Amino acid sequence: MRSCQKCARLLLSIVLLIALAFPSAVLAAEEIKIGVLYPLTGGAAAAGRELRAGAELAAEIANSAMADIDMNMAKNAGIKSMGGAKITLIFKDHEGNPTLGADLAKKLILDDKVHGILGCYHSSVTKTVSAVAEQYGIPMINGSSTSPELTKQGFKWFWRTTPHDVYFTKDLFEFLKGMTEGKAKGVKAVPKKDITNLASACEKTEWGSAVSELIEKFSKDYGFNVKKSILYAAKATDLSSEVRSLNAVKPDAMLFASYTSDAILMLKTLKEQKVQPRIIWGQDAGFETPEFRTTLGDSIVGVLTRTVFLPKVADVKPVAGKINAMYKAKTGNDLSGASARSFTGLQTWVAVLEQAGSTKPDAIQKAANSINIPANQLVVPWGGIKFATSGDDMGQNILGTGLIGQYQKTKDGKVDLEIVYPFDVATANMVYPFPKF
Amino acid sequence: MDILLGSLVSGLLLGMVLALVALGLTIIFGMMDIVNFAHGEFLMLGMYTGLLTSQATGLDPLFTLPVAALVGFLLGVLCYNGFVKYLLRGPMIAQLLGTFGLMLFLRNMALMFFGANDRSLHTGILVGKSFDIGSGIIVSATKLAVAVLAVLSFVAIWLLMNRTRLGKALTATALNRQGARYMGIPTERMNALAWGIGGGSVTVAGALIVNFWAVNPYVGLTFTMIAFTVVALGGFGSVPGAFFAGLVVGLITEIPGFWDFFMITFDIDWMSEVPMTSFKYMWIYVAYFVIMVVRPRGLFGWKQ
Repeated sequence: MRSCQKCARLLLSIVLLIALAFPSAVLAAEEIKIGVLYPLTGGAAAAGRELRAGAELAAEIANSAMADIDMNMAKNAGIKSMGGAKITLIFKDHEGNPTLGADLAKKLILDDKVHGILGCYHSSVTKTVSAVAEQYGIPMINGSSTSPELTKQGFKWFWRTTPHDVYFTKDLFEFLKGMTEGKAKGVKAVPKKDITNLASACEKTEWGSAVSELIEKFSKDYGFNVKKSILYAAKATDLSSEVRSLNAVKPDAMLFASYTSDAILMLKTLKEQKVQPRIIWGQDAGFETPEFRTTLGDSIVGVLTRTVFLPKVADVKPVAGKINAMYKAKTGNDLSGASARSFTGLQTWVAVLEQAGSTKPDAIQKAANSINIPANQLVVPWGGIKFATSGDDMGQNILGTGLIGQYQKTKDGKVDLEIVYPFDVATANMVYPFPKF
Repeated sequence: MDILLGSLVSGLLLGMVLALVALGLTIIFGMMDIVNFAHGEFLMLGMYTGLLTSQATGLDPLFTLPVAALVGFLLGVLCYNGFVKYLLRGPMIAQLLGTFGLMLFLRNMALMFFGANDRSLHTGILVGKSFDIGSGIIVSATKLAVAVLAVLSFVAIWLLMNRTRLGKALTATALNRQGARYMGIPTERMNALAWGIGGGSVTVAGALIVNFWAVNPYVGLTFTMIAFTVVALGGFGSVPGAFFAGLVVGLITEIPGFWDFFMITFDIDWMSEVPMTSFKYMWIYVAYFVIMVVRPRGLFGWKQ
């Protein structure tokens, strides 16, 4: 009898010890903590607010059952495979500062004991934060940084859902090729000699110079001819010599990678010097900002820009329309490239956790490497989400694509972006050639 | 040939813009040997003044210049009487750090009130207009307006300094403050006036620049770096020096254009491989360096 009691006591203490030793395994059923790093103040604060709202909306949908949304994560309250565990987001503000981002990531991992990280918008910050995550073996999903370098580091704990600049630049050349084949909506096949001569002007920091090299590379692959390519200082007070230099080669298409002020100055200078290319294309960034649109008004009708999301996507994707309506009710704005991608980033987190059924890093790693989210689940117009598990672009979503939008005049006189590429989701006839300034 | 003429004209126009920005800096330095690091912030505030006045009143940005001049003048006088006056009692280093602090203060106040986003003018008589004279010469209306204003300002300041009693008093204060005071010149008021004129001229420049360049609280730095070079090149304190140095710097920024001209005219292949535009601003600082080594007083320096 006494030995029996002893046995029971021993068993009990062993159980208690085990429980003490692995508390996280028990707690995990109730709360999954994701550390989210975004620029909530500073120069990119406007984007930061959108990013935050997008991630919050995705968490709300994941944490409650919403029968009217046709999305897997809306079907159950919390993570079903973990007994309905809820997602908690812990936001930190990195201010666009790579050093601060790395410090905050350490804090999230060591003090807040997060199970995973989402972020960080600026490629430079994502670079340092992903290195911290790699060091501590904490999984990190990135939804919105597009420097190709990020997935070339061979990290085992880093996955990126957004397509990067290689995809976007390739899209441009697919688009140009499609134009010569008559695929562009409302435009007859354009003779290749009409658009073969290109000129590019990119800002000269990491992003712009990488884009410039990609343009050179793809133009060779696709049989186009870059007659002039220049790198310029985004903080330049004057771009007239740059524009004169571009115009000297009489380019058919002019390609830009610019931030906000310089994109506006560039277009104003093109207009002043009455430059007449057939195509003007910008690599997102400055070309998609509201400031660009409001400042230049009608004179940008016909300008093309690469983008990742436009409210027009809702016309071709019902689920995007539904989420857009919810986002608009929450924030008063339409979804943008920033918010749609942060929404998708957290959605990927939910899907990965559902498949992993655990918050153990190993289980998450395994789940992320085998995840396959079909296109109909996403608000963004991609082929789905599936990460490369080997090769020189490890952790990159291989099913992502970009959009090319064109500024056009709507019926009520406003200037708005219409989708012209991919050709099968085009929402309007393309304006070609670029109208005279 | 088109490229050569086009580059020349746009270089000269830009030079006049830069000269106007540098004018206030050189006046203040000439008067009291203070390098005003907050100069770019004055420019930024001038840009905001132009932008906000025109947005609030619906007036064309061109007509906001008097408002900008007034704001700049008052700001300059206020800065002098409330702050710089006390700095003058301290050592040189206190003056340097003092105006540096003023720069940070103004910049962050702008950040607080106006936010970090870029803003720019959407409409206006001058915005986006240009005249095509032919043979490659395209004159942008905004730059032409700034250039005209720059010439007028320089002439006015030169007349003020050299043809009026007030100018004599200013020059006397600049040359020997104590001596001037013994002669009955109110040196404090002269200094305040110099700050007022310096502030007013640069805010006017800002209100014109906002016609073609977006404004944010950090925009000052872009222009001050060049303004400092212009002033150093022309000689600290020299008004005509600032004008000619402005033109020189304007032409230097057009070096890529001249490069293209040679490349196309003489059909030299290797020249197209050189990324001239990436190094556009390097030549300005090269010129600055050379001047500093060869002639530290600057081209027109008059004060030892």
